Amino acid sequence: MTPHPDLVPPPRIATWLVGLFVLPEEESILGDLLEEFCDLASKSGVMFARRWYWRQSLKTIAHLFGTGFCAAPWSTSAAVVGGFVLGGFVQGLPDKVLSAVTDKYLTYWSAHFPAYLWVLKAILIEHFVLSMSVGCMVALAAKGREMVATMTLSLVLFGLAVPAYFALVAEHWLIGEALWWMLFQCAGPFAIVIGGAIVRTRRSAATSSWGRVIRNL
Amino acid sequence: MTGRDYLGEFEHIIVLALLRLEDRAYGVTVRQEIEFRIKREVSIGAVYATLDRLETKGYVKSHRGDPTPERGGRSKRFFRVTAKGVTAVNRTQRALQTMTKGLELIRSY
Repeated sequence: MTPHPDLVPPPRIATWLVGLFVLPEEESILGDLLEEFCDLASKSGVMFARRWYWRQSLKTIAHLFGTGFCAAPWSTSAAVVGGFVLGGFVQGLPDKVLSAVTDKYLTYWSAHFPAYLWVLKAILIEHFVLSMSVGCMVALAAKGREMVATMTLSLVLFGLAVPAYFALVAEHWLIGEALWWMLFQCAGPFAIVIGGAIVRTRRSAATSSWGRVIRNL
Repeated sequence: MTGRDYLGEFEHIIVLALLRLEDRAYGVTVRQEIEFRIKREVSIGAVYATLDRLETKGYVKSHRGDPTPERGGRSKRFFRVTAKGVTAVNRTQRALQTMTKGLELIRSY
């Protein structure tokens, strides 16, 4: 069934974010949000309705995150712990590969120092891509709770990075460098959540296309 | 009798809203009823989280309506209170009345 043509569309990003946390059997939540949004838009104006929709969406995500974790605490925790171990294993790989390459071809890199600096920058991209892969693996393991598992892992990693940042600042007083280090550390948790969102979106698309096939039979 | 037989504050409010709404009770109407009666903005996520918990306990039952274009092709999920739910809300009400009996709350606070 297609949406009503006269409907004012609600904020797309907010709908997408809620959709990441909603299970297929809970789709009525999105229907309820849309129904109230249209009602508010016609009574109080689109801007008011949009603000209300964002507020409701963020609160709803917080609730869905909490209930999602409480519904399957052990399997979610297992996926998070697995992701933590996997992350610890794969995050060191680029450094090891780079060390091996630079040690072997030391004379080449000495002659091409700018190229070496570019390789160092590539580590940032590798860090992001590897974290995203870890997020995908965790999401694949936590079927139906992809976002809950990846967000929990991200919060754990972020929670570990914050005290380390303050310790770094307190010990060396290198505030600027520590800030860059912190941004580098935050890229990982962010990439993990993106990995979870990718798997969740793919699974939702597969579920809805199968649902259409079954309804058409 | 154990402490689990009583409803929590928000569970109590939700069950009372369902009893008021009768066969019109679904996410939107329940949320609006609570907002209208107690002047407290609640999220649709909080309503569903509590309704799911009540359903797990056997205090409410749900069924799906037909999908409508106004809702982007999504169905409504209607809720009704079971006999066990009515017993639980009565027990909670009685417990609250017993505990507040003799206390002049309005004059004291």
